Amino acid sequence: MLSVIFGALNPRFLSMRNLLAIFQQIAVLGVATMAMALTLISGGIDLSIGSMIGLSTVIMCRLIMDGTAVPLAILIGAVVPVGCGFLNGVIVAKSKCVPLIVTLGMGYVYYGFALVISGGLFMSMQGQFRTLGRGVIAGIPIPMYVVILMVLGTHVLLKYSKFGRRLVALGGNETVAFLSGIGVDRLKIITYTLGGAIMALASLVLVSRLGNVLANVGEGYELRALAAAIIGGVTFEGGRGNIPGVFLGVGLLGIVQNGLNILQVSSYFQTLALGVIIVAAVVVSNIEKIRQ
Amino acid sequence: MFPVPAFLQCPNPDMEQFPVIETRDINKTFPGVKALSGIDFTLLPGEIHCIVGENGAGKSTFIKILSGFLRPESGDIVIGEETFRYLSPHLSQEQGIQVIYQESLLVPQMNVVENIYVGREITGKLGFIDRRKALSETRKVIESLGIALDPQAMVENLEVADRQFVKIIKALAMNPRVLIMDEPTAMFNAQDTGVVLKLVEDISKRGISVIFISHRLEEVARVGDRVTVFKDGRTVASHDNPRRNIDLAMITREMVGRSVDAFYKKVKTHPGETILEVQGLKLDKDSPEVNFTLRRGEILGIAGLVGSGRTEIVEALFGAGKKIQGKIIIRGREVTIDRPSDAIRAGLGFITEERQRTGLALGLSVAKNMTIAGLNKFKRAFITPADEIRSAGRYVDDLAIKTPSLQQEVRFLSGGNQQKVVIARWLFRESEILIFDEPTIGIDVNAKAEIYRLMSKLAANGAAIIMISSEMPELIAMSDRVLVIKHGQITTELVGENITEEKIITYAFGVTDDEQTA
Ligand SMILES: Nc1ncnc2c1ncn2[C@@H]1O[C@H](COP(=O)(O)OP(=O)(O)OP(=O)(O)O)[C@@H](O)[C@H]1O
Ligand SMILES: [Mg+2]
Repeated sequence: MLSVIFGALNPRFLSMRNLLAIFQQIAVLGVATMAMALTLISGGIDLSIGSMIGLSTVIMCRLIMDGTAVPLAILIGAVVPVGCGFLNGVIVAKSKCVPLIVTLGMGYVYYGFALVISGGLFMSMQGQFRTLGRGVIAGIPIPMYVVILMVLGTHVLLKYSKFGRRLVALGGNETVAFLSGIGVDRLKIITYTLGGAIMALASLVLVSRLGNVLANVGEGYELRALAAAIIGGVTFEGGRGNIPGVFLGVGLLGIVQNGLNILQVSSYFQTLALGVIIVAAVVVSNIEKIRQ
Repeated sequence: MFPVPAFLQCPNPDMEQFPVIETRDINKTFPGVKALSGIDFTLLPGEIHCIVGENGAGKSTFIKILSGFLRPESGDIVIGEETFRYLSPHLSQEQGIQVIYQESLLVPQMNVVENIYVGREITGKLGFIDRRKALSETRKVIESLGIALDPQAMVENLEVADRQFVKIIKALAMNPRVLIMDEPTAMFNAQDTGVVLKLVEDISKRGISVIFISHRLEEVARVGDRVTVFKDGRTVASHDNPRRNIDLAMITREMVGRSVDAFYKKVKTHPGETILEVQGLKLDKDSPEVNFTLRRGEILGIAGLVGSGRTEIVEALFGAGKKIQGKIIIRGREVTIDRPSDAIRAGLGFITEERQRTGLALGLSVAKNMTIAGLNKFKRAFITPADEIRSAGRYVDDLAIKTPSLQQEVRFLSGGNQQKVVIARWLFRESEILIFDEPTIGIDVNAKAEIYRLMSKLAANGAAIIMISSEMPELIAMSDRVLVIKHGQITTELVGENITEEKIITYAFGVTDDEQTA
């Protein structure tokens, strides 16, 4: 419906090229939203995922600029978010603190590291590692394959695997999960670590596409991923939500943003619009509760 | 008052009063379930009107229509002179209807007084909350009800029974005309139940009409002025009960559609080998040591007052509560149980007392709730809905769980059917040592008999059962042995003929000299 509206407002919107562009733009968000959705459904949240992108990509660039072999630099860059996720998981599980606060704080820590490492300057991949973000197979950009595989993988994992069952149960009622023999702490750590691993992939796609980055390159991804997940039917309480819905949420957000771009709405106004969409999504998702 | 001349007196005392509430032809459908069809119901001033019916008969749904939480598709609700198509929660309260739900709606982190006044705090001149006034008002109500309750205790630290009192006081503080209680005595032992029942009678004497829902038919007979039977969303009968001697067998027949032997008795089995031995279990440094054994084929009853530490003992055994020492021997081998997963691996299963809080993930499906402790029963790494139906589906049939499908969210099931889902979880896991903590709370007569039969069958097939219960008839009929607990200590073990209500009560209270003086 939104596509039709934007299509009517500007015929360029519905062109094949533009649709591909939308996909390009939402690839990173789509992957990041999988990480967000998993932590949300488990009853937690990870607000540091945006900073993980910054830290990971900055480290990759730094290493390459310092002459490290490209594969090694990329490997190290990919391990970093996994470590971040693990650390978040351990703190959340062991401290029993509210994940919202823990990961918000950790986000600052990661961002701070990224600033220190980059000195606040542009970091460059020096033209290396461009295929993942910019390559095309059979006429379709590689990031599209990445996001589709990621979505399918997460969907199957959540819906059909035993791990997914446990994760949903944890989000549904932690006490019940515990009394049913689920290792609650361990499961939390695994979930956050998995989120970090997904963010590693998001970082790789992004850095490969951009070629050079600032420490704040991932800024706002956490909030947009959160919005997409909520629009897609995931709730703050956990235990609820399915990945196809979440992916629709991502698509919707991408379409709105792209539409506003094409209509040449200023980026200031776009920020405002995003804020409104997020709050509206949260409110709408809560309507059932309000009624009661 | 003048005596009314005989010719003006109505032969039926009911006729001289206008109903407080009357419903006509109320219908309510949920996806896949016709919850209410054509409910006609009247509530007279000051009467105690009991509603009984099987699990899922539609009792709670009907209540939620009166409280404005649900809208019927059709039908009228007449309150006094006014007729409504449906109510809202606000409108319902305005009409003087107060409901005490099965689920707890208290704020655990607040104390009793704060909970009672939440949302309508008493404020002084400057708009600050007048705590002292609220406290003294609450004290007054507590006293007038003749119960022991500390108004400044945190609700999270209260026993279930006391929480129930808080809910009742909270409702009464609103000065209702109609008080609706959905299974208010479910979590009470005989003694506390008596207090609640007396409370209900007092309330009705103040002119407040009471709708009282319960699965315990004896108490329905004891307090009900009128008893209405629901079956499959219809009212099948309504009886007056002026002499408090209503025929319960008849009521049961109307509820279930056939006669039920409510007095099920465990089939005696020859207990097999010892499967569980608990030696020197201590929960904390000052608590007494607990020792007992359990054999295959046995049902070991655990009796005691609410708060006597029965649940804590089994929680410790299951690795879910604190303990500082104790040897647990299962099938002849000592096992270390630090967390529930250890216990489950050793063959234990635990059906907890508060199913809404610790028994079920309410937002998840029946299938997910059932399989969560036994995921390893699935051989393959990935589980499809077809696998679920094949493996978990039979328990829906075996336990006669009333649900439109395995994918239904558990929160939409009626209370009794929720309990069956919890039991099914451990049957699915094939646990051999089952701990039932108050297994028949909120369960209808028929389902109760089914659960007893099931326990009996499990025992006959070599399982061993520990059953905590506050229901004397249940303890006496089902247990091979009974341990009586007081202050966390086993005061006696009763076997066979010795399991009598009198003995259990004596040992549960077990008033000793030093306590009498205290
Ligand atoms: N919100 C809902 N959505 C779908 N089905 C529902 C919902 N609420 C109740 N039901 C169904 O309606 C029927 C009546 O349920 P209700 O809770 O009124 O039973 P009840 O008589 O109170 O039973 P119990 O004694 O077990 O509490 C049940 O089959 C239940 O599963
Ligand atoms: Mg009910």
